Amino acid sequence: MQELTLKVQRYLPGKDKKSYIQEFTIPLRQGMTVLDGLIYIKENMDNTLSFRSSCRMGICGSCGMLINNFPMLACHTPVEELGTDRIEVRSLPNFPIIRDLVADLDSLFEKHKSIKPYVVSSDTEEAEEPTAEFLQSGQELEGYVQFAYCVKCGLCMAACPTVATDALFLGPQPLGQAYRYCTDRRDAGVEERFHQADSRHGVWLCHLAGACSEACPKGVDPALAIQLLKRAMIFDSLRLRKKKKPASIAQPLAESRPKIAVPEFTVK
Amino acid sequence: MSETRLKILQYITGIGLFFLVGTHLIVSHLSGGEPTTWESIAERASSSFWLAFYVLVLIFGLYHGLHGLRTIIIESIPRLPAKVVDWTLVTAGIAIFGYAAYIPISAF
Repeated sequence: MQELTLKVQRYLPGKDKKSYIQEFTIPLRQGMTVLDGLIYIKENMDNTLSFRSSCRMGICGSCGMLINNFPMLACHTPVEELGTDRIEVRSLPNFPIIRDLVADLDSLFEKHKSIKPYVVSSDTEEAEEPTAEFLQSGQELEGYVQFAYCVKCGLCMAACPTVATDALFLGPQPLGQAYRYCTDRRDAGVEERFHQADSRHGVWLCHLAGACSEACPKGVDPALAIQLLKRAMIFDSLRLRKKKKPASIAQPLAESRPKIAVPEFTVK
Repeated sequence: MSETRLKILQYITGIGLFFLVGTHLIVSHLSGGEPTTWESIAERASSSFWLAFYVLVLIFGLYHGLHGLRTIIIESIPRLPAKVVDWTLVTAGIAIFGYAAYIPISAF
């Protein structure tokens, strides 16, 4: 039977002064992912091993880790794809470690929250008590939909060289999401987000290394979003930005609609 | 001033420097003659066009360089107070400008 060596970073706060690597040799199954390997260790070899995971299908973004020096989702990384039988798994860089492979993502969520990652409505009455949905064309949706696929896994932040040197830098995830909401016609929070992104540790510290886009498991391309945000902010600063028309509200459905004739049942 | 406006000025001075330094290079070094001879320097120093030209190079170069330095400092030492960084660089910029502009202006 083929074997796989997993070199796993271990760290127990209060006990360990610094993290260390522990090796585990496990049987390799076909189609095994790195997360499967970690689960095997936890179930059969060392139940104190700590890591985060949930959906096992690259949707929740919980299992972000540094796998062979590249930030990846453990559930989304088949062992075969790595082309080696020795894999090193570490906690995500640029984040403090809580324990073993569990990174403390608080800074990501705080920065994310600071850019108001939701549709800010200008019509407070409609926002409080909505009467109908806002209308949006397919073309408008295409303008931001790829940025809306973000699962907040933190891989882009872990890959970003600027976040590594400046912990106060907003980072690719919040800035990408700032652009995503600024382009949404239902949103009226552009000025607030621009103000936030215009800080000393904001959008202008991005050096376009592109590591964020390479690391993103959902194909979000935060680097593109940041460049588009920069352009929008320059246009805004020069008063050249086109104000987007607020999205209109769908008309309420007509009381009576023409009934579609229901065909007769063929089986009585 | 907002960071975006500072960055716009960075872009403008960058593009400006490309043309200004390019002009300087062509006129002084690529079109023949001896740019460092006394006659050549005296001729340029007595021209109001060249005085304005080199003062502009100085302004653009100083802004572009010091803004770049500011970005490096902000990123390398993120917790350094903003006012300390800004005022140190502004003071340094004014001092360098005064010293560097004094010579061509006094020679004019």
